[in-house]
Amino acid sequence: MIATTDRLLDYLADLVERIERYGAMVLQTNDDELGWGNDDRGDLLMDVRARPPLTVRSRSVQLTFQERWEPVGRDTWFRREYSYELRDHVRDYRRAFHRHDEARFVRTFDVVTHEHCEAPMGRAACAHYYCAPVASAMDALERLYDVWLTGAIPDCSALRCLD
Amino acid sequence: MNRLYYTPREVADALAISDDAVLDLINRGDLPAIRVSPRIIRVPIAAFDLWRSGFRPVRRTVTIRKTKRTLAIGEGEVLPGPRERVTG
Repeated sequence: MIATTDRLLDYLADLVERIERYGAMVLQTNDDELGWGNDDRGDLLMDVRARPPLTVRSRSVQLTFQERWEPVGRDTWFRREYSYELRDHVRDYRRAFHRHDEARFVRTFDVVTHEHCEAPMGRAACAHYYCAPVASAMDALERLYDVWLTGAIPDCSALRCLD
Repeated sequence: MNRLYYTPREVADALAISDDAVLDLINRGDLPAIRVSPRIIRVPIAAFDLWRSGFRPVRRTVTIRKTKRTLAIGEGEVLPGPRERVTG
């Protein structure tokens, strides 16, 4: 995924807008914290946390959207890493879509991305599951929000284990 | 357990409009909905209630700022590889 700086500014605004349209709450404490971080390596970092709509069940549920974009040219960025996660401490499960340590995953499993599924949380029958690349944070939001919305505990055994 | 979403049919009943009108609202991006598949669409009840109350999120102004923070994506997970298992 490649994007210009302007596109990334819109992208983050779009994500937060969609989270709020779904009735979820962005957990940043003030508006100043909403933005891209530009780290010492020159990469752009996204770190957005949200909680599903307030119900007794959602108090201990968190959605996390993290991305690292690296510069690949003048005003052009490449999404090098991502982590989109749903942690439901009420139902006790975790789903996560990851892209990181690319060379290692390609060398070992011939994949760039992977998924984590734990139910109960902290106990994984398989360390890495197959997961097609996630197109965007919005795509991740829809998929993870839907997992929570259905109220079902994920059946991790239905996923394809890579290990 | 109470359901947390409506089907488009249920939304149509609640609004007293046709199914097609609901799908039109969804396709235009007006009514928030999750398209699980081409045939399955879910409207979160919380989102529907907000939409019906007239709530529309204020679009945020996004900036880029220097940060000393790091983002440790994948930190702590067992990485693959036959000879170099790493536990963070």
